[in-house]
Amino acid sequence: MSRFAHAVREELWSRGRLLESRLSHGEAHEDDDGIVATDARNDDYVAAAELELARLREVMPDGFTVRLVAESGTEGTTGTITVRDGALSIVTSPAHIEEDVALLRSAGFQPAATPASSRPVFLWQNGSASVLLHELLGHPFEHGITPPPLPAWLHVDIPLAMRRATFRDVPLLRMQHVRASQAGAPFDPPGDAVEITLLDGGAYDPLTDIVTLRIAASSAGAFTIREPRDRFVFTGARGEPLRYPGVICSREGQELVVGSIAPVMLTELR
Amino acid sequence: MIVYRKHGSVARWENGTLIRVTESGTAIEDGDYFECRPESSSPRAVESSRVLEIVRALRDLQFERLIITHGIAEHECDGRAWTEETERIHISLTQGRLRVLVDSTTRRLDDLFTIAHALQRAEPAERAIDRVRLEPNVTAALLPHLAGRAPSGVRLLQTAGGIDGYGDPILEAEGDWPNFYRPSYRLRPVRMPLNLRLECADTHVDEDLPRAVALLGPVAGLTIRVLVVDGEAVYPATVTVASIRAVAADRIWYPYNGGSFGAAMML
Repeated sequence: MSRFAHAVREELWSRGRLLESRLSHGEAHEDDDGIVATDARNDDYVAAAELELARLREVMPDGFTVRLVAESGTEGTTGTITVRDGALSIVTSPAHIEEDVALLRSAGFQPAATPASSRPVFLWQNGSASVLLHELLGHPFEHGITPPPLPAWLHVDIPLAMRRATFRDVPLLRMQHVRASQAGAPFDPPGDAVEITLLDGGAYDPLTDIVTLRIAASSAGAFTIREPRDRFVFTGARGEPLRYPGVICSREGQELVVGSIAPVMLTELR
Repeated sequence: MIVYRKHGSVARWENGTLIRVTESGTAIEDGDYFECRPESSSPRAVESSRVLEIVRALRDLQFERLIITHGIAEHECDGRAWTEETERIHISLTQGRLRVLVDSTTRRLDDLFTIAHALQRAEPAERAIDRVRLEPNVTAALLPHLAGRAPSGVRLLQTAGGIDGYGDPILEAEGDWPNFYRPSYRLRPVRMPLNLRLECADTHVDEDLPRAVALLGPVAGLTIRVLVVDGEAVYPATVTVASIRAVAADRIWYPYNGGSFGAAMML
């Protein structure tokens, strides 16, 4: 028999004003007959989640819509800060909030342009290539689908584990993180490459093998890439892996944070 | 200040796993501030026989996704108390690169077999069609998207009956929606139309038209991709709901958004 238990504290703030406050707690026991779940309270988990929420509140930036989520339970204690500015958002932690909010502010000044879905060359900045790899490799892995061949210079680590968002959910095989690194893949980006800064989401459909990526900020403004998986070609990469601020992955209605890092990468559509 | 309480239990079959959940909670609204928290719920047995009965009835279907729920909830808001029992099915069926999506109730199991049989016979190539009859499960999914943009010649109405998220009676209404939807104590109630229906002066729907029997993707706007049964042929087609020529008077309730009564519709 396996057991999962947690407590979650969540707050929604808008420009310094508290709009929503939530407490959730419960536990789930799983055996051969299925899962039995109740909203049982564990005072230690609730106290730890409250403590983590207070830590998140201390670093919360002003002038944005901010969601704070503090969770403590059988799988440890985590804190997540989602900062939204209009159509742009980041997902961060107290350790990285200053640099990530600076990125959010700078991304807000990107030009608005004609959607560039037909442009074939993309330069993935700020670790955003990890989102591409999340959809291109990670979700197919979850569905047991063989990955396309990767260039020898690209190493991608995507471990899977049974995860669930809440005690009410059925655990699913999900990504734990996406970590990509490169060795010896220099490139000269073409002048017309679209530089991607932030994404607003993505999807992979195992039935059609189509990847969708909603670009929120780029040198061409906001646009959507919707292409078959085999059209993406990795052309080059440079530098150390960069932490991308913001992957909350939703599958079957369960939202989970997936840590994501990747070097600056260049891709083409064949 | 508005205080809402809910005690509930649900049995859910999710792609092969049975999960039984009991929980209770309180939601407080004070102006534009919203707060919710669990209450100490006493564990209770969750009846799962109904869900398992449906699983057995559908065992011959090859599904991509199958979620069956049976829940009982006791609600209390501002001194009013009411009880609600719900049964829902969400299923996706696939054949080649076609995926059918259906949200329904456990009273419409026969429809699922009809749709599954049609899907197995479907050819992959999309065809263009001029006139089509949408079946009730398709129109039910479409109705919430007609709010504020229903074509001329039809009326989109909220149907009186039942209780809304604040414990108020659901009223007959058109356009200015007076009621609120509260799917969980953890969410703020949302003002929206409940139990929609569509009325048209012409209720005669031609039985011989090609029939759109199921959705092939989520509804987005007024253009839908559907699975069409046209005599012996079955194929995908894309249909834009620009004008509606007739809507049948017989209606069936489906769990789309805040509830929707589907009826055969002729475009």
